[in-house]
Amino acid sequence: MTDTAIPLTFDGHAITAAPGASLLQAWTAAGLPLTENVGCMGQGVCGACRVLVRREGQRIAEAALACETRVEAGMQVAFVEHFPARRAHAYDLAALGDSWAALCAVDAVFPEAKSCRHCGGCDAACPKGIEVQKAVNLAVEGHVFAAGAHFDHCVMCNLCVAACPEDIAPAHLGQFLRRMSASLTLRPGDLLLRLAQIERGQQPIDLDGPQP
Amino acid sequence: MIGWADALAAPRSAAAPPPNLAKDELLRRFHPDHADGAMTRLVVGASAGQPCPGALAELLQANALVGDADIAGSLTQDAEVLVIGAGGAGCVAALTAARAGARVLLVSKLRMGDGNTVMAEGGIQAAVGAEDSLQRHFDDTLSGGHFRAERALVAAMVADGPDVIRWLIQQGMSFDLAAGEERAGGRLLRKKPGGATAARLLSYRDYTGLELMRVLREAVLLTPGITVLERHPAIELLSDPHGACAGAVLLDLERRRLVLARAGATVLSTGGAGRLHLAGFPTSNHYGATADGLVLAYRLGARLREIESFQYHPTGIAWPPHLAGTLISEAARAAGATMHNGLGQRFVDELAPRDVVAAAVLRELADGHGVERDGCAGVLLDTPGLEAAQPGILKERLVTLSQLAARAGFDPAQEPCLIRPTLHYQNGGIGIDAAGRTAVRGLLCAGEASGGLHGLNRLMGNALLELVAFGRRAGAAAAESPREERPRGIGLHHLADWERALVAAGLPLTVRAPILFPAYGNVDVAQLLRDAARRAA
Repeated sequence: MTDTAIPLTFDGHAITAAPGASLLQAWTAAGLPLTENVGCMGQGVCGACRVLVRREGQRIAEAALACETRVEAGMQVAFVEHFPARRAHAYDLAALGDSWAALCAVDAVFPEAKSCRHCGGCDAACPKGIEVQKAVNLAVEGHVFAAGAHFDHCVMCNLCVAACPEDIAPAHLGQFLRRMSASLTLRPGDLLLRLAQIERGQQPIDLDGPQP
Repeated sequence: MIGWADALAAPRSAAAPPPNLAKDELLRRFHPDHADGAMTRLVVGASAGQPCPGALAELLQANALVGDADIAGSLTQDAEVLVIGAGGAGCVAALTAARAGARVLLVSKLRMGDGNTVMAEGGIQAAVGAEDSLQRHFDDTLSGGHFRAERALVAAMVADGPDVIRWLIQQGMSFDLAAGEERAGGRLLRKKPGGATAARLLSYRDYTGLELMRVLREAVLLTPGITVLERHPAIELLSDPHGACAGAVLLDLERRRLVLARAGATVLSTGGAGRLHLAGFPTSNHYGATADGLVLAYRLGARLREIESFQYHPTGIAWPPHLAGTLISEAARAAGATMHNGLGQRFVDELAPRDVVAAAVLRELADGHGVERDGCAGVLLDTPGLEAAQPGILKERLVTLSQLAARAGFDPAQEPCLIRPTLHYQNGGIGIDAAGRTAVRGLLCAGEASGGLHGLNRLMGNALLELVAFGRRAGAAAAESPREERPRGIGLHHLADWERALVAAGLPLTVRAPILFPAYGNVDVAQLLRDAARRAA
C-alpha cells in the first residue's frame, strides 16, 4: 500500500484501501474471502452487498450498498446478513380478479401496513433514498399506484424489511403494488394486435429467409 | 493517444462517420475474438476440435472437484425438477415447471436474482410495431449473428416474443409507453437496437432487467412447489449408469457440506463467463459469472457451440478505474448519443452491431486516436451533446447512467464519458433444441449458458427475450420428463471415462473446475471441500 492508503475497519478486520475504491473492492483487495453479500459488483442494482457504515465522528451508522460506497478514513463497516422475512406476505396475483378489489387486497395481504408508527426506520435504512414510510401510508389511504411508484428504484435489498418494527415488509408491499398495477392495468394496443395476428396465423416466419 | 484536456477542447463533430472498413476486415483485425493466440482447440469431450478461448478451455478440460468416494454418505434432497442458477432464466424455468405441477428445487451460488439479468439495462426485443414483423426480427437476429445462429431456435425465440411480453405483464412487470399513450390500448415505447432494422426494443426506463428480476424473484418466493437453496453452487452433475443427468452435487457454502440434489430433469441456467476476464478485459458481468455450467455440462457429454465467440460491449466505463468495466447501456446510443475519438471525430455508426462498434473503438485506440485520462484509455461518449439535443433525457430516461456518473464523480450533462469495450456476453454455449434439451438425457439448458440463439454476435434486447422464451420452454419440458422413469444407480459414473480421456490427451488430472469464484475473491474451494469431507466423516 502507498502512503495514501486509507485505513478502515470492515467486519472487525483492520484493513487499508486504495483511495477511490468501493467498500467491496476494499474487502477483496485486503485478501478477505467473498462468497456472499455480492452480486452485480458495482452497478448498484442487485441489493446483495448490504452494509452498515459508521463514518468517523458520526454517532449513528447508516445503511448502504458496499459496491457503491467509497472508502473513507476511519470508517467502520459491517455486512448485514440476509435473512428471510419473519412472515411471508403471500398472495396470488392471478387470483386478484379485478382492480375493484385492489384496496381490500392490500389490507388482506399487508394488514400490518395500517399500524405504521411513523418511526422513519425504513427511510433511514433505504440505500436508494426512497420515501418508504410515505409510500406505505399512501398505500393504506388507497393511493395504491402512487404508492407503488415510490418504489420505482427499489433494488429489493430488504433493509426496510429488516428495519420495520411492525413487520410491514415495505419492499414486498411496494412490489405487490407495482405488480398489481402492471398486471391489472397495462394492456398495450400494439401488443394486443400483434398477439391477435399471431393467433390468426398472419405472422409466418420463413426459416430459409435471409442468406449470407 | 490524446490527453483528456485536448480531447475535450476538440470540437465534437456531428458529421456522419466515414464508412466502415468492410465489416469482416474490421472484426478480423480488431475484435478480441480474432486476436493472435486468443483461441485454442479443445482436445477432449464432445466438442473436441472446436476453437475456444484458452482460459475457458483450461476449465472445460479440467478434472472434477469431487469423486464418487467424496459424495458417499452425503445428504440428499430430491425433486422432480432441479434448476441450477437462479437468475432470470432459472427463475422463469422454475416458475413454469412448478405451475405445471412439478416439485422444483431451485439452487443458486449467490442469492436468487443476483446475476446478470438484474443488471440488464437496455431492454427486451419483441416485434410488436405495425411496421415490424416476426420475420424482420428473425432476419435481423440471424444477420446480426453472422448467420451462425440455429434458424429453428431463432424462429422459436422471435415467435415467442409478443407472448413473452404478455406473460411478463401478467407476472406484474411494467413497460414504458410512448409519450402520452394510455395504459390500456396505448402504444409501447419502442427503440431501435443496434443492428436491427426496426424499433423493436421494449424497456422499463434504463433498468429493464431490474424491473424484470424483482418481479420474477417475488413470483418465485410466492409460488408453492419451489424450494430455493441459496449459496449452494453445483460443483458436479450426477449421472446414472447410462450417462443421463440425474441431478447435481451441491456445495452448501454456509454449512460447508455436500448435498446431492437428485432429480428426473435438470435445467442448467448458470449464465456466462465474464469473470474469466478473457484477453485481460474488464467485465460488466456479475461476480459469479465463471462458466460453471459449461464446465459441468461438458464433462457429462453436452456439446458446445460458438464458444469461440464473446461479446465485448462497446461502452464500458474506462475512467474512473474503480468502476472500470461497468456498463453504460446501449440505451444511450439508441437514444442518439454519438461517440468521438480524441480528435472529436465520429468513427463508426454508433448503432451498428455491437461487435462492429467494439472493434471500431479498439481500432481508434490502436491507431493512437484514443483519449487518455489519468492513465485510462478510451473514447468519448457524448452525453453532453445528447442532453443538449434532448434536455432532461439523462435524468428521466437514462437514470442508471446518471447514477453511475454520480458515483464516478462527474456530471454527464457537462462531461462526456470515457468508455472502452468490456467483456459482456457469451454468444455461444451449450447446444439445445427448441425445447431447451441438450444432447445429454435429463439435462436441459436456458439463458446465457445455452448456445445457438445469437450466432457470433447477440443483438441488444435478445438476451432478456431468450432467457424468458427458453426459460419457459425448458421449464415446461423439464416438468414433463420426471413423469418418465426415474434415474437409478445415481453417482458420478461419467468421471471414469472423463479422466481416462484427460490422461489419453496428456492433460493433467490436477487442474480442477469449476472455479466458482474469480481468483480475486480469495475463496479457497479446496479448503471448503476438505471441510465438507471432515464434516461427513
